[in-house]
Amino acid sequence: MSAAASTIAGPSARAVAWRRREVRRAFTFYAFLSPWLLGFALLTAVPLAVALLMSLTNYDGFNLDRASFVGLDNYARALMDPDAHHALQRTVILMAIVVPIGVAVQLGLALLLDQRLRFSGLFRTIFYLPHIIPVVGAAWVWKLFTDPNGGLLNALIGVFRPDTYVRWLVEYPTAVLAVLVIWAAAGGGMVIFLAGLQGIPAEYREAAMIDGANPWQVTRFITLPLLSPVIFFQLVVGVIATLQILQQPILLTPGITGISPGTVPQRDNYVFVGHAYTAIFVNHNFGYGAALLWILFALVLALTLVLFRTSRRWVFYGVEQ
Amino acid sequence: MSADTKPTLTAPRGIELRTTRRRLLAGAGAIAAAAAVVPLAIACQQQPATKKSGPAKVVVMTDSHEFGEDDRKALQDTAKVEIEIVEADLTRLYAMWAAGNPPDIFRVQAAGVPQYISRRMLKDLQQYFASSKLLRPDDLAPANNFYKSDGKTVGAGDLYGMVKDWSPDFTLYAYKKAFADAGVAVPSDAQPLTYDELAALAKRVNKKQGGKRTYWGFVHSNNDQWIDRTAMNMLAEKNQTLYSADFSKLVIAANPEALRVVRYLFDLAKDDIQQNPLDPSPNWMGADFNEGQIAILQYGFWYSAMAESDKTKGNVVFLPAPTWAGVRRDPTMTATGWVISSQTKDPDAAWAVFEQYMGGKPAQDRAKSGWGVPGLKSLYPLMPQETPFQKQVQKVLQAELKQSEFTLAFNPYIGEETFSTSWKKHLEPALKGSITFDKFVTNIEADVNAAIADGKRIAGN
Repeated sequence: MSAAASTIAGPSARAVAWRRREVRRAFTFYAFLSPWLLGFALLTAVPLAVALLMSLTNYDGFNLDRASFVGLDNYARALMDPDAHHALQRTVILMAIVVPIGVAVQLGLALLLDQRLRFSGLFRTIFYLPHIIPVVGAAWVWKLFTDPNGGLLNALIGVFRPDTYVRWLVEYPTAVLAVLVIWAAAGGGMVIFLAGLQGIPAEYREAAMIDGANPWQVTRFITLPLLSPVIFFQLVVGVIATLQILQQPILLTPGITGISPGTVPQRDNYVFVGHAYTAIFVNHNFGYGAALLWILFALVLALTLVLFRTSRRWVFYGVEQ
Repeated sequence: MSADTKPTLTAPRGIELRTTRRRLLAGAGAIAAAAAVVPLAIACQQQPATKKSGPAKVVVMTDSHEFGEDDRKALQDTAKVEIEIVEADLTRLYAMWAAGNPPDIFRVQAAGVPQYISRRMLKDLQQYFASSKLLRPDDLAPANNFYKSDGKTVGAGDLYGMVKDWSPDFTLYAYKKAFADAGVAVPSDAQPLTYDELAALAKRVNKKQGGKRTYWGFVHSNNDQWIDRTAMNMLAEKNQTLYSADFSKLVIAANPEALRVVRYLFDLAKDDIQQNPLDPSPNWMGADFNEGQIAILQYGFWYSAMAESDKTKGNVVFLPAPTWAGVRRDPTMTATGWVISSQTKDPDAAWAVFEQYMGGKPAQDRAKSGWGVPGLKSLYPLMPQETPFQKQVQKVLQAELKQSEFTLAFNPYIGEETFSTSWKKHLEPALKGSITFDKFVTNIEADVNAAIADGKRIAGN
């Protein structure tokens, strides 16, 4: 082999070896990624695409051969549907109540339990417990708690105001629903905030206190800004979860013990996903139900983008974004 | 090796080293596409269903309270097929159908049957019944007519299923203590009340103290879940129904008779005699009766098996169904039973299970339990008549059975809960006065007629 040939073959062999190594690395990368990716594809991407197609048809869930393309009719129908408007309005009201109060409660609990307290582990467990109670059980507990005839809430109020008879689920259904949702989510959010709090270097707070800051000023000017990415995350997650709420309003409906297509929540708790659920499972209009859910998806996306846009003004990441 | 020849991690020129965003997206896209294509390709290659060797497997969607593990094993041995139970759940049933994987046998109620037939979801079982030794057509109880269809009318034609058991469902249970507390005599069990008499009576025994409920006067339709069935049975006494003759419209406002029935049922809620959205119960009506909180309950014979609780024992009287216009009718409103899916891959195996469940030992056991009138007339004598209450119930029941040969004509274009869902949705604002009664009616008509129009389009009518 000539010197010239050797010069040419050398880099080429090196390149081939490099490429093989790259292929192996890429294969390993995708092999590790594939469980999530497959799950995403099969359980999210494909169903989303199918639902989008479905929303353009009059598919009834039973007879695919009789389904026909209806274009954007289902979307136009949603715009004219008074129940869809009502459900959307109630969902947005619920979100406006639950998200800020819920995040405040989660943050407050985390701030409380971030102190050096005796039995703080026990308190964390107690506050976290509602988060792991199945939603059916939690709703049932609240129904019994708020029952006008034998409920604990009226009994407690009755200690101070005898003969109290408040029909909580009839007169204040949204308040009961909101409290249930906030109560059930408080523990999970608290843990996330606690993790965020423990990621804040103690030196910052110590330095501020040495400089004369009181606890409120430390919280306001040190803790909250450094915790703002977690607050932002909780806000986004809260908005998405509240807009998608379905089970709790149905389960709080008086007289039922489980979820059934024909269960109609109190009118104030008639939420958007519930309306889609009715369209699909009561009226067998899978096409219209899918259109409603795509409209909700667009709304969730828009609100999330708005939150991201505003986050530039108040979320402090500590590093350049 | 000198320092300048030491291998480094830099790539040879022209080779991309890192996994770039573009590569990641491309790779992810490829995996996603493969994930979508592979099952589709497998599905496309599937051959038409053929019987597998070995014991067949039949998936049955039913209520585990009615068909437990012991029943499954026993029936599996008798029918010589493997049986898998899926808990009955309408949402799951519809999801399984939408996924193209419905159960072979599923539990239904009469109100859903016409729709299932119009959507070609049920297997015509006429030939199987014709050749069955266990389920002879002349032995079938009248409630099985709910499973007959000739393509247009329910009640005539081929059989598509069968009741597991049934009851004349418009009978009443009176709680004697509530009557005693009100100083009112319990009605006779020999003479049916009119619905107007019933409402007047219910007002007298209805009782609240300080806002708290002591007795509901008259509770019916299971939290309004069956409100259309109650209305249809009342209207049937005047040869009327809620729908136009071709089922293309719900007609209430333009039908004075229908309007009167709807007004009657609405007023029961408005007068707070019946459980309603403004005065709901946290429980189902059967449990409330057991707790001694209902004076008059409209429920079928099957409930007699549990009507006497520790609290109500010795205080319950079974009464005939009330009448709206003097023409007595007391059919079943649920006709709960089984059907076989039109998509079953092994109809013979499904029938083997169906036949044994409906006519074999499980059917005899159900008849003896008293949880309903058997689906076969030959099993009627097995119903229990031991306690004084059971004897009183049987006396009334035997008279009611003569009034039960009537089939409610449910609309084939809508789901079994379409009407009641709309009723419940609009009842609360109507009771609160946010909308008028007329608006309440027109709202229901609008909802149901939209659903009918969708159903008709799908049915190709």
